[in-house]
Amino acid sequence: MAHPTYGAGLTTGPVIEAKGLGVKFAVNRRRKRSLREMFIHGNKRDPNAEGDEFWPLRDVTFEIGKGECVGIVGKNGTGKSTLLKLIAGVLIPDEGEVHVHGKVAPLLELRAGFNDNLTGRENVYLVGSLHGMTEKQIDERFDEIVDFAEIKSRFVDTPVRHYSSGMKVRLGFALISQLEHPIMLVDEVLAVGDKAFKRKCYEAIDRMLANQRTMVLVSHNEKDLRRFCNRGLYIKGGGLALDTDIDAALAAYNEDTKLEIDERKKRDAAKKKRAEQAEQDGADGDGGQAA
Amino acid sequence: MASRALAVWEHRKVVGLLVRRDLKVKYQQSVLGYAWTMLEPLALTMVYFFVFGVILNANRGLPEEAMAQGGFLLFLVAGILPWNTFGAIMSEAPRAMITHSKLITTMKVPREIFPLATVGTKFVEYLLTWPVLIVFVIVLGGRPSWEGVLVWLPLAIVLQFTFGLGLTLFLSAVNVLLRDVERLVRIVTRLLFYGSAILFPAAMVLDSAEVPAWAKTAFQLNPLLGIFEMHRSVWFANFEELTPTTVALAASVIGSILMLVIGYWTFRRLEMSVLKEL
Repeated sequence: MAHPTYGAGLTTGPVIEAKGLGVKFAVNRRRKRSLREMFIHGNKRDPNAEGDEFWPLRDVTFEIGKGECVGIVGKNGTGKSTLLKLIAGVLIPDEGEVHVHGKVAPLLELRAGFNDNLTGRENVYLVGSLHGMTEKQIDERFDEIVDFAEIKSRFVDTPVRHYSSGMKVRLGFALISQLEHPIMLVDEVLAVGDKAFKRKCYEAIDRMLANQRTMVLVSHNEKDLRRFCNRGLYIKGGGLALDTDIDAALAAYNEDTKLEIDERKKRDAAKKKRAEQAEQDGADGDGGQAA
Repeated sequence: MASRALAVWEHRKVVGLLVRRDLKVKYQQSVLGYAWTMLEPLALTMVYFFVFGVILNANRGLPEEAMAQGGFLLFLVAGILPWNTFGAIMSEAPRAMITHSKLITTMKVPREIFPLATVGTKFVEYLLTWPVLIVFVIVLGGRPSWEGVLVWLPLAIVLQFTFGLGLTLFLSAVNVLLRDVERLVRIVTRLLFYGSAILFPAAMVLDSAEVPAWAKTAFQLNPLLGIFEMHRSVWFANFEELTPTTVALAASVIGSILMLVIGYWTFRRLEMSVLKEL
């Protein structure tokens, strides 16, 4: 197990290292065969299954240093979230390796670990402890967490199943943002909550970043990315297309998006033209019948 | 392997938290939580006592002298209570990973702790059946023996939970990839209940002239048979026909260890696919 390394001593080396990272998913797999495959062939590649493989990510190499805030941009389904999961260590790569020096605070799924039958207070203690907070730490910060999450005190001891989804997410963010882990992984969570809560989230993240912590952020919101990040990784088609500053990465992404939209427009126009042509042909050809 | 075990040990606190959470949820949902969990096996015991003991005379497999130390009723209770725990492990094992999918996909912990927590919860629930068992022992005049308490009881508990953990590791991983395993397990549990001689002394089968020799061997090769005979030997240690045969004893010990090895091996083997599938 990697021991968390806080503060000095590791200021020079990278905090997150990814080398030739790749993940493979099987597509259209018949489960029965796949299970047999796993038992018989193990992790070796089955030569017959070549066509059924899909690599959401492949050959991704990068290093992230301490205190950096890296934004990952790219289209839907290009493997951004998969990359975060690999860094978080909750997915095992099929190729390459990833090293993370320090504990990771995953702001991936804010309601994770909440049990609907337990009260808000019990859930805060449970999930906080699951992430390695001591009881004393939670005791000290409990009021702050509840206050940040804007949960009225009469709801604190109500089972979470009676909470609105917004309340749950707010409580999740309030709790996980209290973690002092040196690395934060953020996946679109800033999209939740109302305006006022969003502003508070921004402030909380600013505070964490000021504290020399490393953050990797996946988002489609350019404003968020520009606000926090100093570096951008542009993921395209399952590979790392660009590793530059955030503005250049967003520019490249926007450029590609524009190209794609133009392409589609052109295609649509051509299709429309063809349809019109066909209609006209049809009208010309069997106009008599139609009438 | 050793480093992995160490990692699990380092996360023992998480296991404890999950166990405590499960118990809390279970016993808090109704005021009579504990009473309800005990009521079901007890009601069943009464039915079985009536059907098998009174009507079908399954107690004829019990030696005369055993009647004075609790008789057929204690025999049933001492088998059904641990079986109830085992049945609960079987029914929750397939879902041990699926129910925690959100945690597993966000938190980096050794994945083994989730099946471990499921079995841990069941272990605590097993300990909670003891007050009821002791009431039965006192009321029925059961007599524990040194041999029973010092040999059979620890052996039965260790083997039962070793077997249960192996099974949970195996089923929890396989069920993520093949969700129909859950249904299959329900049927197998039923079969094992009768195959493990919970309701009648195993000697009734072994001494029967109508059962062919190969079937008797197969019957004794079920590791659960020996385990549940041990659970009852705690109270009936001095009866040859109620203690496990050598074959049954060996099958329990080897079978339990083998189950753990197979379960763990399968779990690690399928881990990558399971994580992608969750």
